[in-house]
Amino acid sequence: MDSVMGDPTATASQDRQLDIRFTGSGSEYFRIWIVNLVLTVLTLSLYYPWAKVRRLRYFYGNTLVDGTPLGFHGEPKKMLRGYLLVSLLFLLYSIAGQFSVAAGLIALALVAAVAPAMLKSSMRFRLANTSWRGMRMRFSGSLADAYRAVLPLALPVLAMSALPLLLVRPGVEPGRAAPLFGAVALLSVAVLPWVFWSLKRYQHDNYALATLTTRFKAPVSAFYSLALRIVGVSLLGSAVLGVLTAVLGFALRMGMAKPQGGLQAGLMALLPLLLTIGLLVVGKTYATSRLQNLVWTKTGNRSMRFMSDLQFSRLGLLTLKNWVLMAVTLGLYWPFAAVATTRMRLEAVRIKTRVDPATLVSQIKASDGDAAGDAAGDVLGLDIGL
Amino acid sequence: MGGPPLHGAVYFDGTSAMAREVSLQLRGDALELNGAGTTRSVPVAGLHWPERTRHGMRVLHLPDGGAVQCDDARAWDHWCDANGVRERPVARWIRSWRRVLLGLVLLVAGAFALQRWGIPVLAGAIVAATPERVERAIGGSVLDAIDDRWMQASQTPPQQQAQLRASWSRVLQAQPKGSVPSNQLLFRRSRIGANALALPGGVLIVTDDLVTLFAQDPEVLMGVLAHELGHVRHRHGLRMVVQTAVLGSLSALLFSDFSTVFATAPVLLGQASYSRDAERQADQEAVQILRAAGISPAVMVRFFARIEGHAPDAEQARRGADPSPGSVLGSHPADAERARFFAQAARSP
Repeated sequence: MDSVMGDPTATASQDRQLDIRFTGSGSEYFRIWIVNLVLTVLTLSLYYPWAKVRRLRYFYGNTLVDGTPLGFHGEPKKMLRGYLLVSLLFLLYSIAGQFSVAAGLIALALVAAVAPAMLKSSMRFRLANTSWRGMRMRFSGSLADAYRAVLPLALPVLAMSALPLLLVRPGVEPGRAAPLFGAVALLSVAVLPWVFWSLKRYQHDNYALATLTTRFKAPVSAFYSLALRIVGVSLLGSAVLGVLTAVLGFALRMGMAKPQGGLQAGLMALLPLLLTIGLLVVGKTYATSRLQNLVWTKTGNRSMRFMSDLQFSRLGLLTLKNWVLMAVTLGLYWPFAAVATTRMRLEAVRIKTRVDPATLVSQIKASDGDAAGDAAGDVLGLDIGL
Repeated sequence: MGGPPLHGAVYFDGTSAMAREVSLQLRGDALELNGAGTTRSVPVAGLHWPERTRHGMRVLHLPDGGAVQCDDARAWDHWCDANGVRERPVARWIRSWRRVLLGLVLLVAGAFALQRWGIPVLAGAIVAATPERVERAIGGSVLDAIDDRWMQASQTPPQQQAQLRASWSRVLQAQPKGSVPSNQLLFRRSRIGANALALPGGVLIVTDDLVTLFAQDPEVLMGVLAHELGHVRHRHGLRMVVQTAVLGSLSALLFSDFSTVFATAPVLLGQASYSRDAERQADQEAVQILRAAGISPAVMVRFFARIEGHAPDAEQARRGADPSPGSVLGSHPADAERARFFAQAARSP
């Protein structure tokens, strides 16, 4: 066994490239998806942890890194408790929001306060339950780091709380309020790429497998320039689509001799939906592809590093095709779409390594981590993982 | 004495990433792994055997760490069959297209049943368990919000208000004892036009425009109030909130990995459907209350006729609140349908 691990000066090792292949198939996942949905509906969603484990096992098991699949080890029974707890909280949160504005805000504040803790716990759970070549991965991020990662959000929050104090002083006319609120809103938006960078750094600085850990090397400026480009592309896309939608709407109005109430209302509701879909195809795929490339290409260490070159045009066309087929099949095409998208995104990533993967040795036995954090991620829609 | 072995499997011991070739054999209630420099015995009881996917390898994860993998899936499956390792029922179900398509039918039926009966029953239980003062608190804060934004003090003359209040309490007195939920009649002037609202907790609001519209026909107003009381009696306000929340949560859960855009469609449609059901139920209550008070349900036919033929802005206001009545997205059934219901109720005893 070569002991060249982590030793950059060894001449015996050569740079190798590890490919990622996804062997899942749409028709197979379709069957898993249907069965999962049936059982989830029949059990009033109690089956959900089992459904999730089957889905993740399928996707992980079909992800071959250098010919060896990833493994998922989450246990549904352990996940059930966490899932029930989070669902109850979420139900209370959505009901609270309908009662009074104050209750909704308090609920939101509570969720925001625990969100970093849930993120950390979710990452720990996911990684501790992921294995490659028999070795479990680890997430080494601490709770303190999670809260530090969302610290940039403190600026707009402070500004928003300071604002009423500023305005209550005598001698200040109400007319001054509008530009100040505008400034705070602008500040909130301007801080977003920074927060996103901070969160991504928290995640990608702390992945570990055996003795290898990752470092996140992207600068904040890269996130700002990407944000500007995303806004630009989205604006362009929505301008084009807005024109198309207006033309279509006008043509419909002209084409109908007598406006039929229900039909017209239905169509008017459909047009913004089309616009949203259009934006999703253009803006979101641009953001997804560029972000994946940026984030993963800047992740690695001296022995192993990732590279991603997902092309916007390819992803965009695939997404468009997916949406059209989903609309035509009333959503039944979705599992096929999910598999195709996952394949394109995964196979765009490669790993360059100076270390022979067979020589890795795990130092400690990772603990399983708490499943509740992961459940929170599902119910609240936090996006974790690839 | 063991079963037939499987050769050519790859073993990772969980501590190092080195791949070792092993053969597997089931002996009694233990799985034995044997290879060059490797011997391991694992109890069969806790093993989670891999499912028979069409592509990919078979990987068996061992409870105390490590994994065994075989890239010849067919050989693995034969070995499992020869050793009596059976697939789990759900896994077998997934592999059969016929059963899956049956499952799809079951899914659609189940989802429909859930939306139609499951969620309303669950919401009913939650509402029944909620004390009335919670509802009154909600109603109070909604009233504050409404008064802030859309309502101003009424300009209906006090005598007219008093007359209407007197008529209304006469109608309520005709109801069986104890069946009248606590309610409060308020008059407001509002730019939403001729309309009446029922808030959770029993606050009934009637707008000046509605009073003016039916000043010569106050029995119609009694009909409208009876309908609103029907909402209060069945605690529709709270019920809607709970049903929407449950529907929203379930929809988010089922479609979360789908798309948030698509997840809202069933919520909107479901919400609209529940709203129409509530309106029909309130109409039925209105018939009962009117009959008990000696007023013919036909007054409501006059209501729909008058409100349709009335000034465009009153109609606009109603249309604005419910852009597509009677359709799938409408919060109320179509006026024609409701008028017919009342006409029929007036004819039958």
